[in-house]
Amino acid sequence: MDSIMPESAYYFIQQLLNGLTVGSTYALIAIGYTMVYGIIGMINFAHGEIYMIGSYVAFAVLAGLALMGVDSVALMLAAAFIISIIITSTYGFAVERVAYRPLRNSNRLIALISAIGMSIFLQNYVRIAQGSRDIAMPSLITGGWTFGPVDEFNVTLSYMQVVIFIITFITMTLLTLFISKSRMGRACRACAEDLGMTRLLGINTNQVISLTFVIGAALAAVAGVLLGLYYGVINPYIGFLAGLKAFTAAVLGGIGSIPGAVLGGLILGVTEAFTAGYFSTEYKDVVAFSLLVLILLFRPSGILGKPEVEKV
Amino acid sequence: MNNHQSSTSLRWFPAVMATGALLLLAVLMLGVQLSTENTELVVHFAASERWNLILSGAVLVFLVQLFRNSISAFWQGAKKHNPLPQVQLPTLNENKPLKRLLICFAVAGLMIWPFFVSRGAVDLATLALIYVMLGLGLNVVVGLAGLLDLGYVGFYAVGAYSYALLNQYFGLDFWSCLLIGGLMAAFFGFILGFPVLRLRGDYLAIVTLGFGEIIRILLNNWTSITGGPNGISQIPKPTLFGLEFSRRAKEEGNVPFHEFFGIDYSSGYKVIFLYILALLLVLLTLYIINRLLRMPIGRAWEALREDDIACRSLGLNPTAIKLSAFTIGAAFAGFAGTFFAARQGFISPESFTFIESAIILAIVVLGGMGSQMGVILAAVIMTVLPEFAREFQEYRMLMFGLMMVLMMIWRPEGLMPMKRPHLKLKDHQPDKGDVSVNRQPIAESV
Amino acid sequence: MLKSFNKKMAVLTAAVALGSASIASAADTIKIALAGPVTGPVAQYGDMQFIGAKMAIEQINKSGGVNGKDLEAVVYDDACDPKQAVAVANKIVNDDIRFVVGHLCSSSTQPASDIYEDEGILMITAASTSPDITTRGYELIFRTIGLDSMQGPTAARYIINSVKPQNMAVIHDKQQYGEGLASSVRDEVQKAGIKVALYEGVTAGDKDFSALIAKLKKEDVDFVYYGGYHPELGLILRQSAEKGLDVKFMGPEGVGNKDISAIAGAASEGLLVTLPKSFDQDPANARLVEAFKAKSEDPSGPFVFPAYSAVKVMADGMKLTSSEDPEKVASSLRANSFKTPTGNLGFDGKGDLKDFSFVVYQWHADGSKTALTK
Repeated sequence: MDSIMPESAYYFIQQLLNGLTVGSTYALIAIGYTMVYGIIGMINFAHGEIYMIGSYVAFAVLAGLALMGVDSVALMLAAAFIISIIITSTYGFAVERVAYRPLRNSNRLIALISAIGMSIFLQNYVRIAQGSRDIAMPSLITGGWTFGPVDEFNVTLSYMQVVIFIITFITMTLLTLFISKSRMGRACRACAEDLGMTRLLGINTNQVISLTFVIGAALAAVAGVLLGLYYGVINPYIGFLAGLKAFTAAVLGGIGSIPGAVLGGLILGVTEAFTAGYFSTEYKDVVAFSLLVLILLFRPSGILGKPEVEKV
Repeated sequence: MNNHQSSTSLRWFPAVMATGALLLLAVLMLGVQLSTENTELVVHFAASERWNLILSGAVLVFLVQLFRNSISAFWQGAKKHNPLPQVQLPTLNENKPLKRLLICFAVAGLMIWPFFVSRGAVDLATLALIYVMLGLGLNVVVGLAGLLDLGYVGFYAVGAYSYALLNQYFGLDFWSCLLIGGLMAAFFGFILGFPVLRLRGDYLAIVTLGFGEIIRILLNNWTSITGGPNGISQIPKPTLFGLEFSRRAKEEGNVPFHEFFGIDYSSGYKVIFLYILALLLVLLTLYIINRLLRMPIGRAWEALREDDIACRSLGLNPTAIKLSAFTIGAAFAGFAGTFFAARQGFISPESFTFIESAIILAIVVLGGMGSQMGVILAAVIMTVLPEFAREFQEYRMLMFGLMMVLMMIWRPEGLMPMKRPHLKLKDHQPDKGDVSVNRQPIAESV
Repeated sequence: MLKSFNKKMAVLTAAVALGSASIASAADTIKIALAGPVTGPVAQYGDMQFIGAKMAIEQINKSGGVNGKDLEAVVYDDACDPKQAVAVANKIVNDDIRFVVGHLCSSSTQPASDIYEDEGILMITAASTSPDITTRGYELIFRTIGLDSMQGPTAARYIINSVKPQNMAVIHDKQQYGEGLASSVRDEVQKAGIKVALYEGVTAGDKDFSALIAKLKKEDVDFVYYGGYHPELGLILRQSAEKGLDVKFMGPEGVGNKDISAIAGAASEGLLVTLPKSFDQDPANARLVEAFKAKSEDPSGPFVFPAYSAVKVMADGMKLTSSEDPEKVASSLRANSFKTPTGNLGFDGKGDLKDFSFVVYQWHADGSKTALTK
């Protein structure tokens, strides 16, 4: 392909693609935060650790299959996704039962501390079980496309990036369909609207809340598998930073709103990529947080969040 | 689940489910081991002890779930026959002179104590006192004013760096920097608090978290001034009216403490001096906060926490009140930071990470939000307990996390819930999101 | 459900607690404190230091101990947290231990060494490479590893003389170790007239470097020096290969372990690394390597042998002076030279090794390396 655009345009596109890739994984994790917040109004701080566990399970499955001599990439991926989703869902479920359900009616702060405690616990549990070393794995899906001039700056888009986009898109669509069309999805929305009233209407709210945690954990597992494969390196500490970023994304988009979480994730990812690309990598996080502060100043409930109504 | 059944029935279904869940949780995480051999990722089954652990855990869970009805019936019965003694901490409110006397004794005891114990213990106590100061300061923001601040460590860093930088560039000593550090932190609290305090609850939490991170990253990136990740070293220890506690005076013409008094040099003096200084700072903090609490501003903090709208109807300016709490809280973090820099002698941005904020917050909540005695107790427990658990080094953080969860479940109101004078008219369930205060009918002023 | 989970946790905790047996203390021994991270993100580097030091203690005891006494290791965990390092130092003072091998992270070593110097405790670090540690005129602080300020110039010299890039980039991880090295390399190569197009820090623990790589591509750099540790450089290499950035990279000893090949795979082929001589490859150390292997410990970490040597020189110093007085031992360390697995060690006035040379290696995708300089 001939150079049809100036080099700077290619550079811009490259950074945009980089940002969108990171952003879509932030979005997947952010949905877990936003769903839990929407329904029971608490920040599930341990969500980042669930994502980390998802990555570990995927690595164990992939390494196990490779040892058994399975070499079909599709089969390996499917197995990694399914097993990782099942196990992280169980973790999500168990975390809610152990650390959050007994605190359902207490002050938000109490639940938050419990969540921070859970996060520290899970992180160290994995550290003790699997060691604190980085675990690395070769890329499963390699290769990609290159656009633009050959001898100047050109844009690369790897197959893995495309896989991330597609799987994120499919997951989001499924989730939206589930929330808007299914019976359980309706129950979820009802709980988000008014938990007490929903209970009075005969819906098992405990079940709905458990389901929320399970779905959130399953999405974190999807992110865990995808990011585990994309970066190829995991350690017990990856959950904290990813969780923090995803949480920022959720708040940016308006916590409690699922489209908001997706939008917030993408905006955060792109902002980071552009800051690093045009300014300095060192100030990536500063700019990301400053953006958050600015948006909250002008829209105190985030971009797509519902304004909170003060009740007496 | 099947709670309506008779108390001795076996619970097969939940037992099987719980055991299955446990196995799912454990098998792929504890049961297999990922490792890198040469450069290849391999996975193998974990050592047999671990499998024994998983299996015994599964059997235990199965049995407990199966006989849970009988167990809880037995437990209830045991409780009925031997009720656990209710731990009631003595209240001294009735007897003011006695209370004063006891406080005097306690302070005197704390002052004399370091001369009889080991150096390690005194140093640990100093660290605990720093956390007490931080806990008390954050308690103003979170416990009293009800503002969730996850970036408190930022102000702590401002205090520490104020001293370190002013000393490095202008040679100011600890005592003037103590004041400046507090003022600087308060100033930062004011500037940062001003735009964000109209945000509510969790939004405030994430924004303050962001501020804490921004302060740390800026300190880390601004290498030419702050030394970046190298930090600042050789921060002098405090002096007593110009007397140093080192073996030899660092500055020309200064006389070390031991020479001035003509006693033998002992490095213990320095540690003890730092401890007593920390103790005095804590006492000062307690005094100031207690005075503030009885002033209109202190009352306004709590009123605002309890009911925002009612406050506004009464003509109080919520932003001003929140800002005052935020600023005052930040000031105490600044004092603590200055002292921390002096105790360490070396600071770098890695001492001011988010986990530090989380620990300070845990102290406030563990102690019982708003309760000052509780915060002190919690700060001491949080610093001292990990030291005793050093034999379990590997498992220390694991237990720390577990303790945070279990404490919240068993004693969500904290170790020493805040007590306040009020009359109970009738029982009512606290609303969700309500800051729970202990509703005991004590008609007595604090 | 809830109770059962709590019980499960309790059982787990209790069971693991019982597993870690405590070391019974012998009657008359010389205690050596091993201070470093047992927990925390850099615990794996702490391990290297501990296995090296413990092996030395074991072998010295086997050959009769020191001055008729056995050495005894006492491990202290500072988690690489400066605050805990001070607490650990005070505990060591408290436990009346006069000799310390540690700490690992320079930011922990620095505040802790203030206390050791004050209290007359001899400290030898086998891992902290920050020059600041020995520039404070302390008498009891030593190290058995090279300094960042030695490693940077070695790397810069090689870049200037052998690589000869036109337009290079220097990246670091914004930590004491990485930034120190990166700035020293940058200054040296700039002096030699090489253009440094990009000097930037990344966040340690970050996983995505695609934005940085696109930038490197746009700046058209032909050589990259990275100051930091292997997890980040591994990812940078891996992602560079995927994004079609084809340049040579160079890093310090912190990147030179097998994990970088596990992370970066084929992309780690050709990476340049400055390392201390790899002591485990030295034929003279074959028996020692065997001893490590017999205990199924990995002797290839960069801090294993320096930690061994730290204990060795301490013990030899005690033997030479027939005393356990740290000040006497310290002056004997300065006055003599010692035969250790890391060579004949002598200390200068500051407490640094008189000569500690770094070698430039070329890294291979299978985790092996070949020396390019002597």
